[in-house]
Amino acid sequence: MLFRVFDQGELPILFSALTARHEVIGPVEAGVDRHGKPFYAFEPATDFRALRLAYTTTKLPAKRYFLPCREDLATFRTSGSDWSKTVEYNVDRPRVFFGLHACDINALNKLDKVLTGGDYPMPWYAAKRRNMFIVGVDCEPQPSCFCRSMGADTALSGFDLFLTGIGDRYFAEILSNNAYNLLRGIRAVEPGEEEHVLYRRAVAEKTRKYTARVDTTDLTKILDMEFESPVWKSWGEKCLSCGSCAAVCPTCYCYGVEETVDIDLSVARKTKTLYSCNLVDFAQVAGGHNFRPESHSRLKYRYYHKHRGFVEAYEESLCTGCGRCGETCLAGINVPDVIASVRGEGGA
Amino acid sequence: MAAGGTKSWLGAPLLRPRVAFFELTSCGGCQLQVLNHEGTLLDFLSLVEVTDFREAMTERSHEYDIAFVEGCVSRSDEVARLRQIRRNARTLVALGSCACFGGVPRMKNRFPDPGLLAREIYGEYPMATETVRALDEIVPVDLKVHGCPFPKEELEKVVLHIALGKAIETPRHPICFECKANGNVCLFDLGELCLGPVTRGGCSAWCPGNRFGCWGCRGPADDANLDSLRAIAKEHGFSGEDLADRLECFGGFTPREAPEPSPRRKSRKRGTR
Amino acid sequence: MTRERTPDMEIPFVDVAGSPFRPPRRNDFAAFEYTYKAEVTRVHTLTAMETLYEIQLLDPEERRRFSFSPGQFVMLEVPGIGEAPFSISSSPLRRGAVELCIRKAGSLTTYLTKVPRGIRVGIRGPFGTAFPMERMHGENVLLIAGGLGLAPLRSAICYVQENRSRFQAVDIVYGAKEPSQLLFSYMYEAWRQDDIDLSIIVEKAGPLWKGPRGLITKRLKEILADRDHAECARNMYAIVCGPPVMFQYVCDQLNVYGIPMQKMFVSLERRMHCGMGKCCRCNVGSTYTCLKGPVFDYWTVLNLPEAI
Ligand SMILES: Cc1cc2nc3c(=O)[nH]c(=O)nc-3n(C[C@H](O)[C@H](O)[C@H](O)COP(=O)(O)OP(=O)(O)OC[C@H]3O[C@@H](n4cnc5c(N)ncnc54)[C@H](O)[C@@H]3O)c2cc1C
Ligand code: SF4
Ligand code: SF4
Ligand code: SF4
Ligand code: SF4
Ligand code: SF4
Ligand code: FES
Repeated sequence: MLFRVFDQGELPILFSALTARHEVIGPVEAGVDRHGKPFYAFEPATDFRALRLAYTTTKLPAKRYFLPCREDLATFRTSGSDWSKTVEYNVDRPRVFFGLHACDINALNKLDKVLTGGDYPMPWYAAKRRNMFIVGVDCEPQPSCFCRSMGADTALSGFDLFLTGIGDRYFAEILSNNAYNLLRGIRAVEPGEEEHVLYRRAVAEKTRKYTARVDTTDLTKILDMEFESPVWKSWGEKCLSCGSCAAVCPTCYCYGVEETVDIDLSVARKTKTLYSCNLVDFAQVAGGHNFRPESHSRLKYRYYHKHRGFVEAYEESLCTGCGRCGETCLAGINVPDVIASVRGEGGA
Repeated sequence: MAAGGTKSWLGAPLLRPRVAFFELTSCGGCQLQVLNHEGTLLDFLSLVEVTDFREAMTERSHEYDIAFVEGCVSRSDEVARLRQIRRNARTLVALGSCACFGGVPRMKNRFPDPGLLAREIYGEYPMATETVRALDEIVPVDLKVHGCPFPKEELEKVVLHIALGKAIETPRHPICFECKANGNVCLFDLGELCLGPVTRGGCSAWCPGNRFGCWGCRGPADDANLDSLRAIAKEHGFSGEDLADRLECFGGFTPREAPEPSPRRKSRKRGTR
Repeated sequence: MTRERTPDMEIPFVDVAGSPFRPPRRNDFAAFEYTYKAEVTRVHTLTAMETLYEIQLLDPEERRRFSFSPGQFVMLEVPGIGEAPFSISSSPLRRGAVELCIRKAGSLTTYLTKVPRGIRVGIRGPFGTAFPMERMHGENVLLIAGGLGLAPLRSAICYVQENRSRFQAVDIVYGAKEPSQLLFSYMYEAWRQDDIDLSIIVEKAGPLWKGPRGLITKRLKEILADRDHAECARNMYAIVCGPPVMFQYVCDQLNVYGIPMQKMFVSLERRMHCGMGKCCRCNVGSTYTCLKGPVFDYWTVLNLPEAI
């Protein structure tokens, strides 16, 4: 990995170099909540002053730009009884993400494992993923953040450039040739021992600020042991089966497929819609049988997929610890509390 | 699309169902929604054969395959009319919240003296009104198109699916999922009440999308967790009454009367092919 | 000065799109939505609920390439109507064509009951694990089906017929609710002629029914009662297809007679939308039925939370 250090005043130059040719998505303020606290969203940005690089976790992840909620997988044109199928990957240009936190970059890395790996990589995601330029920024842990427990508090790969503030300068990690070229346009120098110390201090300071944590020791085993645990039922009683947790999760990717015909009968579409395993008909089959009819069995499956199945397959969990699901859940269901209760530490 | 007016899909001719629209006690908003198809109205009409209203009401059965009925039942003559429609139609579709669960008029049932209410509304010319009921409290209903008004896409889908011979599915999950998918910020976070967590999805979160809490016009989602919503509303500082008023507004969450038994007719099945 | 300092940032566009009808390789982006165009060449009504469709790929080159093993499934698609998984019911020797035995259940399956022969459909696959037929060579085989379970089992039966000399004793035990629901009845004679011991048992039947009544397990007891446990353990395989309550009951009984759980195979059914380990709808516990299944040995199934 290459490192550089530059003045914070140089950042607008980098930004405008990117906006000059590309669509840039970055964190902007999206409103103020009922407690008077601002909240943020990833939106297309053209003005550096609109960016809020010191933002706290956005309510919704950047997922809609690479895993849209609805996407046509194919269209069909018919003539008589014959038809032809056209598959479009729905991407025609690269996109820049300016200011992703480590957890959200790790979310992409996790998605890469399942969606671009295996025998059947998923082209709609891969096409978008391969055409990204990502600038990461450091962050301040919020009370809901437990990324450190999930090993997602630092990003080791999956970005082009990562910026950590050290005083009035940025400590930049360079992962790609594109990022290297970009930095050549500004005044950036190689860090010395002094900057290394400052960087380590910044990281240590961040690490001290975590309040939420999840104990993942032996978690796959414990989840198996506690499959029949009564705590699932008590969480299930609270759960609204609303799927908000999956909608705001940067790593949830499951979906349903529907085929439709346009009302003028000109084309048929095969449309993918992101789904949530908490929704009542997630595991329902034709004829009405539902493999997970109760809300607690669906909620339990959510934890199984994230903290057991994915770990078994990829040796890491499908959760970055970003805390969005817990923040959004009206019923107050959140990962640290659920896992603690399954481990028998504190009740549901 | 084949020439000569008959439409086909993949070489198979489409069923062109004869449809009829009926209105019981309602505001007419749903009927507007039927006509409010702008660009797609012609395509919509070419999929069906709309039967003349009066002709549709004759004693001869099978004058129409599908009866779309909007509005709730609030008078005894409507009960008789609905039974007649049921006898004539292979498929009976309840159109809109009033037809599905009584809708706003159902709130009237709260008042102990219906006569008083009638005098208040109709002045010196009171009409004979009974308790407000939904269609399925009187006759079996094959399909429900929820909403006040219902989204026009949903009606188009019903007609198209019948023409194609496809089953019709309504979303079973709460609105929140669509609301989040649309990128909305939850209204509870902004200090407002919303019935989205218990209301059946499918409206693409119209109201929350316009920063207006959901009033539950589409009725309860499958497996709606009302107890949990009550706790949430309380925690967010809303009184039980605020919530109860909302839940009552469109009648979807109000306990129902059991439908009167009526033998299901075999031929009706053919209506959906 | 500023001019010199403005970096020039070009991100090369990576086009992952290939031609959509390029023959796919595994690990290839085009493999995902790759659809074989096919035609329904024969429609055979089996019962009031089930119909057998013979479906043939149109392209000769693709016909040559398309092959499968008993137990695998395909995704069948009709544009605008729907796409769903179905077990292949036909012989693996027939390249480029499959027979699907389909029960009328929802959108697509109801539509299929009305389509005329000759309709063009899409086929993706084959997907999933297969019954390990080769492992069973030289052994006794018990093929057990309840209801629609005969659909996947029929492919294994075809394999046994075509390789009859490679197997020792072969028994088929097939149970249905009533005689009118029996599938593939026109095949029974041929199976018997291939020295396969076929028992058909129904739960309810009118006076015209001459065969046995009751549950599959009753017939199994008769077959296994006179066999030696140790021998069963050594050289007996079983394939059990049917609803979970049925295969659980049957497998537990087979185990009592000495057949090891790893030598019994069952096929699981879950909701599926991709067949490729992406949509997650098919998960049992956290195992993908479309990738690790649908065929599992019974030991694995017992150890999957949620499976039964
Ligand atoms: C491995 C496997 C093998 C199967 N083999 C057969 C067979 O040989 N014969 C047969 O009649 N049926 C079989 N099924 C069941 C068959 O897939 C369903 O009957 C079919 O999906 C119903 O589709 P539909 O469009 O008619 O129903 P709808 O209710 O309209 O379903 C909509 C979609 O949901 C999914 N879905 C619904 N039910 C099921 C289900 N039971 N299994 C999987 N996906 C479902 C499908 O993607 C379907 O397109 C099999 C299922 C699996 C998983
Ligand atoms: S856990 Fe919370 S957000 Fe998720 S479905 Fe349940 S109530 Fe909704
Ligand atoms: S499960 Fe929750 S904490 Fe984990 S990545 Fe998803 S939203 Fe973030
Ligand atoms: S946790 Fe649930 S919602 Fe998220 S990807 Fe897995 S199955 Fe889908
Ligand atoms: S605004 Fe309403 S519908 Fe939207 S997420 Fe919040 S509670 Fe659900
Ligand atoms: S958000 Fe609620 S009130 Fe508004 S249209 Fe949808 S169901 Fe009706
Ligand atoms: S069918 Fe989609 S993951 Fe198995």
